[in-house]
Amino acid sequence: MIIVKDLKRYYGTGKTEVKALNGVSFEIKKGEFVAIMGASGSGKTTLLRILALLDDATGGMYTIRGLEVSSLPEAERSYYRLTQVGYVFQDYALINEMSAAENVYVLSMMEGRSKKESYSTALEALDKVGLKGKHDRVPDELSGGEKQRVAIARAIAKKPDIMFADEPCANLDTNNSKQVLDVFKELNEKYGQTIIMVTHEPWHVEYVNRVITLEDGIMISDEIRTKS
Amino acid sequence: MINDIRVGALIAYCSIKRGNKKTLMFIVFVLSLIFMNLVFLPSMIGGLLGMFTGFMQDYPYGDIVIEPTGDNTYINNADNVLKKVRAVEGVRAATKRLDVGASISHKQKVVGVTITGILPIEEYDISRYPYIISEGDFLSDLSRDEIIIGAMIAGTGFGSEIYDNLGEVRPGAFVDVTYSNGVKRTYKVKGIMEGTFEVVDLNALIHYKEIEDVYGLEGKEATSVVVRVTDQGTEAKIRDKIREVGVNEQIFTWADKSESLIRQAMQSMGAIDIMSKIVSLIVGAALVLIIIYINVLNRKKEIGILKAVGITPRSIVLSYAFLSTFYVSLGIFAGLILYLTLMFYFQANPVVFYETIEISPVIDPVLLIQSIVTMLTLSVIAGILPAWSVSRESILKAIWGR
Ligand SMILES: Nc1ncnc2c1ncn2[C@@H]1O[C@H](COP(=O)(O)OP(=O)(O)O)[C@@H](O)[C@H]1O
Ligand SMILES: [Mg+2]
Repeated sequence: MIIVKDLKRYYGTGKTEVKALNGVSFEIKKGEFVAIMGASGSGKTTLLRILALLDDATGGMYTIRGLEVSSLPEAERSYYRLTQVGYVFQDYALINEMSAAENVYVLSMMEGRSKKESYSTALEALDKVGLKGKHDRVPDELSGGEKQRVAIARAIAKKPDIMFADEPCANLDTNNSKQVLDVFKELNEKYGQTIIMVTHEPWHVEYVNRVITLEDGIMISDEIRTKS
Repeated sequence: MINDIRVGALIAYCSIKRGNKKTLMFIVFVLSLIFMNLVFLPSMIGGLLGMFTGFMQDYPYGDIVIEPTGDNTYINNADNVLKKVRAVEGVRAATKRLDVGASISHKQKVVGVTITGILPIEEYDISRYPYIISEGDFLSDLSRDEIIIGAMIAGTGFGSEIYDNLGEVRPGAFVDVTYSNGVKRTYKVKGIMEGTFEVVDLNALIHYKEIEDVYGLEGKEATSVVVRVTDQGTEAKIRDKIREVGVNEQIFTWADKSESLIRQAMQSMGAIDIMSKIVSLIVGAALVLIIIYINVLNRKKEIGILKAVGITPRSIVLSYAFLSTFYVSLGIFAGLILYLTLMFYFQANPVVFYETIEISPVIDPVLLIQSIVTMLTLSVIAGILPAWSVSRESILKAIWGR
């Protein structure tokens, strides 16, 4: 489903140039739950943002379902992000003035669905992540784990091709982390959702079925895990 | 586009519903003051102009005034004109007048004036001259050796300090009048008129027949024919009708007259008015811009997030346009309430000038609509500009600052 070849991303120029990604290649199939691991500064976030079409690569090739997405014009990338890509941010990135349901259904509305349909899609997604009965709360009235689950609901409501998550548990305690990871795992196993998640917590690998490890912008290992 | 509008409206709605209410109230308060500033002074000036034109109606011009064409001193055959005019439907009353230049003297003091020759009985239906006699009485039909003089030249009224006057002339006193053709006559002062307005109080009134006699006229000449209509507002229509029945003199409605008068006399007022409008518009626009800009800067990250999850920049820009339109609409609404309150206050308690002239503001719907439209237009522009510039930034920069 995703093919990445010799992907590069350099920040800055000349003396200050940083080679955050220096030629990364891999292929990800539909239904995989992949963890991208590595030390801080190894290029995980950089990679994920490019995959999620939030940033442009400096070089290399990137296709989704055979479509060369790196060269799409911004309007189409925006539409692609809206309809095919789910992105879960480390700090939730919810709109504080919107309730849980509104945070989710604004995207369905953007896609052109009716208000009613958008609302029921949102509620369904919120139920899936275990937030039944909390859809009218605003982010300030939710715990960190709950906020992150709203963000996940927002990402899955559109039934995306691929879901990305950048250290989704970095701000959460172990208990909340487990809840979030369980949601991911269930989405992956029950609905076959393709998920690419950045993390640096070794125990998170228990939840995934493949681990890609980066070091200084280069892939140093790629191992398939047999399901426990 | 429909989706952009729906999403923009949703974002704006949420941010109004859950945004900081104190900030909202402050913004609305400031905007209401801007609106007030835009409409208040013009209303006062409008009141002043209205009063001014009211004077013009009540004294020199009536509702419609007929004046000689070209270089002619007199209307030809004024009686014939009067006959035609009185026959026009909707005309309530009409009279003729003769304006002449003269000087009046009393005990060594001499003052130049315009003397208006009037038919006293007819003036009761035409002007307010008969009703503003502060001392003595108005002229009667037999008053051939009597004169009414304005309070400012008599030296008894307000404004006597500013203008040359005869030094406290009272009814019963005798004054000498030297007309522009050299004829000298002596008159007994029958009354003093006080209209608290130079056009009236620097004037004098004498019987029409007396002026005719002095100038050797034959009963058909007049410098103006003054007309009153039955229903206010029909002046223009009746002016045209008078033209149609064959009156070949210059015919003006009081509005025609006051337009040129205002252009002359009120030019500086108009300039102040326009300047104050421009200044308050600029201040208003800058304020709306600053308010929205700060708002946008505070939500830079949010804008980045919205873009990152696939909300179109157009929806985001629209949401800010809606937001600022909402702020400004509330501001205008609050401003209107404030404005109307003040208007009613000043209409009940007029501003007093010259001790006696009361100015109450007029509410001009055209001005209100103009101001509302201008403010709304401004607000949309002021709302869109900053949002548009931020929504064009890259997502990474908006969310993570680099
Ligand atoms: N916008 C940027 N400008 C310059 N350097 C950057 C930028 N973003 C990341 N980097 C650098 O690129 C490298 C990889 O960063 P990142 O992908 O965030 O690593 P990770 O997510 O693995 O911690 C780091 O050295 C970081 O300092
Ligand atoms: Mg990172």
